Amino acid sequence: MTPSREGARIALAVGAALALGFAIMACVSDQPWAALRALLTGPLPSIERAVDGRVVVHRLVRFGAWLQDATTLTLVGLAIAIPFRARQFSLGADGQLFMGALAAAVVSLGVGDVPAAIALPLAFLAAAAAGAAWGLVAGLLKTRFEANEIVTTLMLNVVAVQVYRLVVGRVLNDPTAGFITTPPLPDAATLAPLIARTTVTAMVLVAPAAVAAALFLLRRTTLGYEIDLAGANPWFAVRAGVPVARATVLAFALGGAFAGLAGFHVSNALLKRLPIDLTPGIGLEGIVVALLARGRVGALPLAALGYAYLRVGAQAMERATDVPREVVLVIQALIILFVVSDRLAPLALGLARRTGARVRARIGGRAA
Amino acid sequence: MTPAAAPPAAPPAAPPLAPSSAIALEKVEKRYPDGTLANSGVSFAVAAGETHALVGENGAGKSTVMKMLYGLERPTAGILRVHGRPVDFRHPGDAIAAGIGLVAQHLNLVASLTVAENVVLGHEPRRPGGRLDRVAAAARVRELVEQSGLAVDPTATVASLPVGVRQRVEILKVLHRGARILLLDEPTAVLTPPETATLFATLRQLAAAGRTVLVITHKLDEVKALAGGVTVLCQGRVTGSARMAELDEGALSHLMVGRELSPPAPRRVAGARPAPRIVARGLGYVDDDGAIRLRDVGFDVAPGEILGIAGVEGNGQDVLARLLSGAAIPSAGDARLDGRVFTGLSPRAARALGVAVVTEDRLHDGAAPTLSILDNLLATRYAHPPLSRRGLIDRRTARRWAQAVIDGFGVRAAGPYQPMGALSGGNMQKLILAREIADAPAFLVASQPTRGVDIAAAAALHTRLAALRDQGAAILLISADLDELLALSDRIGVLYRGRIVARFEAGAVDAQTLGLHMTGLGPRRERGDHDAVA
Amino acid sequence: MSLDLVAAGTVAAMVAVATLRAATPIVFASLGGLISELAGCINVALEGVMLVAAFAGVITSAYSGLWFPDAPLWLHPWLGCAAGLLAGTALAGLLAVFHLELGADLIVAGIGLNILAQGLTVLLMAHLTGDKGSTASLTSFALPNLRWPELGDVPVLGALLNGDGGAGHNVLVYGALAATGLIAWTLRHTVFGLRLRAAGENAEAALAAGLAVKRLRYAGLLLSGLLASGGGVFLGMGYLTLFQADMAAGRGYLALAAVFLGGRRPLGTVVAALVFGGATVIAARLGLLAVPAEVVFMIPPLVTIAALVLVKQHQRLAARRRAAAGRATLLSS
Repeated sequence: MTPSREGARIALAVGAALALGFAIMACVSDQPWAALRALLTGPLPSIERAVDGRVVVHRLVRFGAWLQDATTLTLVGLAIAIPFRARQFSLGADGQLFMGALAAAVVSLGVGDVPAAIALPLAFLAAAAAGAAWGLVAGLLKTRFEANEIVTTLMLNVVAVQVYRLVVGRVLNDPTAGFITTPPLPDAATLAPLIARTTVTAMVLVAPAAVAAALFLLRRTTLGYEIDLAGANPWFAVRAGVPVARATVLAFALGGAFAGLAGFHVSNALLKRLPIDLTPGIGLEGIVVALLARGRVGALPLAALGYAYLRVGAQAMERATDVPREVVLVIQALIILFVVSDRLAPLALGLARRTGARVRARIGGRAA
Repeated sequence: MTPAAAPPAAPPAAPPLAPSSAIALEKVEKRYPDGTLANSGVSFAVAAGETHALVGENGAGKSTVMKMLYGLERPTAGILRVHGRPVDFRHPGDAIAAGIGLVAQHLNLVASLTVAENVVLGHEPRRPGGRLDRVAAAARVRELVEQSGLAVDPTATVASLPVGVRQRVEILKVLHRGARILLLDEPTAVLTPPETATLFATLRQLAAAGRTVLVITHKLDEVKALAGGVTVLCQGRVTGSARMAELDEGALSHLMVGRELSPPAPRRVAGARPAPRIVARGLGYVDDDGAIRLRDVGFDVAPGEILGIAGVEGNGQDVLARLLSGAAIPSAGDARLDGRVFTGLSPRAARALGVAVVTEDRLHDGAAPTLSILDNLLATRYAHPPLSRRGLIDRRTARRWAQAVIDGFGVRAAGPYQPMGALSGGNMQKLILAREIADAPAFLVASQPTRGVDIAAAAALHTRLAALRDQGAAILLISADLDELLALSDRIGVLYRGRIVARFEAGAVDAQTLGLHMTGLGPRRERGDHDAVA
Repeated sequence: MSLDLVAAGTVAAMVAVATLRAATPIVFASLGGLISELAGCINVALEGVMLVAAFAGVITSAYSGLWFPDAPLWLHPWLGCAAGLLAGTALAGLLAVFHLELGADLIVAGIGLNILAQGLTVLLMAHLTGDKGSTASLTSFALPNLRWPELGDVPVLGALLNGDGGAGHNVLVYGALAATGLIAWTLRHTVFGLRLRAAGENAEAALAAGLAVKRLRYAGLLLSGLLASGGGVFLGMGYLTLFQADMAAGRGYLALAAVFLGGRRPLGTVVAALVFGGATVIAARLGLLAVPAEVVFMIPPLVTIAALVLVKQHQRLAARRRAAAGRATLLSS
């Protein structure tokens, strides 16, 4: 299918999911229209001209949250999309993110008093390495023991979250904080916001750079070719002399590295300290992003921006109205279902055409 | 057996025999949703009790006709008639109810079930409570075996049976439903000559009992041996229909391919043979179930020589090919190329030493159908200059090379970016061979290189193999097609139950003798020392 | 029988009972996973099915209690049970429609439905009770326990059959055992089982044999939904007597692991499910000692991974032994 038709199909699926989501909102809410408005305009800043003629930008925080969320989603989208090129269904972005965040925090707190030029790259690399290592485990379990990756990555997620809680709660705990968390990370190891009053940092530029790097790797390098071939037909790849197991493991590790960077984003740019109750689940959102991009790595940032918009809108909606943000889970699920249903659009169009023809026939019959 | 002893039709719904045509197609068209026109204006009829052959090149639309007659596809235009009545099959169940049975090209059996379970599947004898009556099922199979002469053990698991026997199970399945019309899609592709003879005897007997048989085949001698009438399809249309009595083989061949084809004249190595390039000794293989799949296989292949390996499928050819290409590790013995052991390493290591392989099943492990022609061609060469340097692939050079291969091998394709899966079997196989010989291998293992390929493409592939041989490569040709083996090989070994049971100089043997050895019936001809014929 | 033996036997019975109780939802779900896998379209939405079934069961029983205060008390839980089974099966039916009719990828659609179930249950719970955590504010009902008071004094057996404190076992614990036997029998001995397996293993062959493959797959998915719903209903109306957000807590995925771990056979699958149940029991016992909770929570996932690895290693060793035996024959001949 051509990219433009594919794009139209996805737009249709998202539209249908939103429509159904709205129907559900209308059922559970007294103020569905307000909720819809909040959902669809929440992430946008409002620009007003104040009485004295100055331009005032409101709600920049949410706009920042949108960009910031899209950054995370792009990175976890990569963590899903790259193993998928090797036809591996990794659901492990969550655990890899937690490990990446934890490693970044440990390094940031551990390096001591060093300049940012040393602390930042160290934490950055530690996060990528930890995520990659966690991905590597799933890859090795798959290639060495044929352990189903859906199961192992889900299990490794649970283990990673518990390791994270163990370390944050019992090793790095800051007793003065009043809640269970690490001490604040040193300034040298954290990223300053690019836009005032937001959490948008240089990571917003790292995400597209990561996508570009991944694209280059997949399209131009022999490793990328090996990953593609291992995914397209592993039996053939083996006979052709391609190191399939290595390519598969590396696909997991690469994906894990990007999820680890998402962890760095969370710890060193967003929160600047790690609370024990960091919510898991963002990894599953990576699936939605990868799906919306239809596995095209280049389309990931766009899909992430679109989906982050919806998520931030949902938060605005929950704050402004009586609709809980879980409605976005429903919309998310519907998007997944509609996007993967290849025969849905032709079926719906055919039905519409047939109904139209029947209506016309009836009208014509009456006229006759 | 006399017609009176023919098995009774099981479902009472089987239609009565009409004096007119059993099957008739009237201007049938099949257009797939993607726009491909598989059949157009196809009309022909098969009289009740007739054995009719449907012939034509690969991709001529023969299998589509079969699928429409069996309810696996629906025609987009035209009328199908069975016993004169127009039919509209939506599902194979409809065709079965109309008394039609299909023995498909890719045998449609459930491997983990027993013979009896496979035969009765869909029309099972039952006991109260929806239970399967296994005793009655086995008894029914025994009854069918007795009536048809197709020997099978009803309690055997299908996975454990050789292909020839599995095909018998397919036929029993059709007979169990009381089919009056049998459709067979290339039934002899996987059979040895004696098995083919048995099958033909069964088919003649079924025809004598009043059943109508429609058979697809590539092989002209089979048409002559079996059919009363023949219809030729070319590019989805009927190009000829005739009574066999009116045709000789040359005319039929001409009708099929539009020109007479002669096999390439093999250039035998003249005079003294050079020293062997490939020396295999004592190769043995035990699979994970502990079964011995190959034992004490030894042979030599000289540069510029083709060693043919004949054998019925499942007698160790697949294992031999895997061992020699590094895809499996021998349990005993080894093979050397110019003195260096190349078995027991890995496919990559074997390739680095100059070994290339055309695998038996191109869609399974010979190509990646979803990827482009370009990406398929790259698979064995991407890691080295000129196609890549320091881990970076030179896409421009690769594309130019791919276009050159497409042009040079006469592949009908839209360009290097067309998905491999969109090509016909012949074109796909040409590209696979092109890829494997691109680096001028010292040793090529070619398994079933022309299976399911039309005659013209097969001839082109044979020419390429002969050219590679003439360049001094050693070639091991594993094939079920005895004509191919006899035409190309310098020497032929016969594999039977994992051993080489006979060795011949190619000029000194015929298909009939090979067939005897392939079924273990030949006198033992293997001499003790391996280079006796080298 | 000496007293020590009786005491040891009683402890063992208690552990067995706790394991069975913890494993019941996984057993139900894994049987569902098995039947869908054998039909050739594995139900990844088991997790969502359990959630929806638990939610529908709890809510229906609670509202049945509110709306029909005069009805006999035993009616409410059974109404809830029926509603739970129906709702869970309907979700599996949705998966069937999306996969079989609309061409959706089975795994992705299954994950999508799990997310849908997660969102819908919380959304409706918040709407109905104003609480996003649990339905504790509603009075819902549990399905009855079966007890054998007349056996209460028999050592070991009494403890086994009547459980801790003689309360007996929830009727669905027996349901899981019965379902195991029934599914194993159906798959092995009935025409339906034969056809289901044929359609799952080789759809083309089944189609050519005239079987309605799509209908068989619908049957497989709906049955898997019904079975997993049993597990969900047990969670909300037996294991606990309320609905909690994300109550299935990964059991649906564990059940899938059990199917593969059990070699796609009924008995093996159920044994694997029991092992997973046992892991949670052990984790709970360790929690009573001074082991950090985080470490305890790591046990079930690590057991799952270890089990997958060990099964593979076991298969490999067995294959290696067979191959070695064959090789000895090869070399000696």
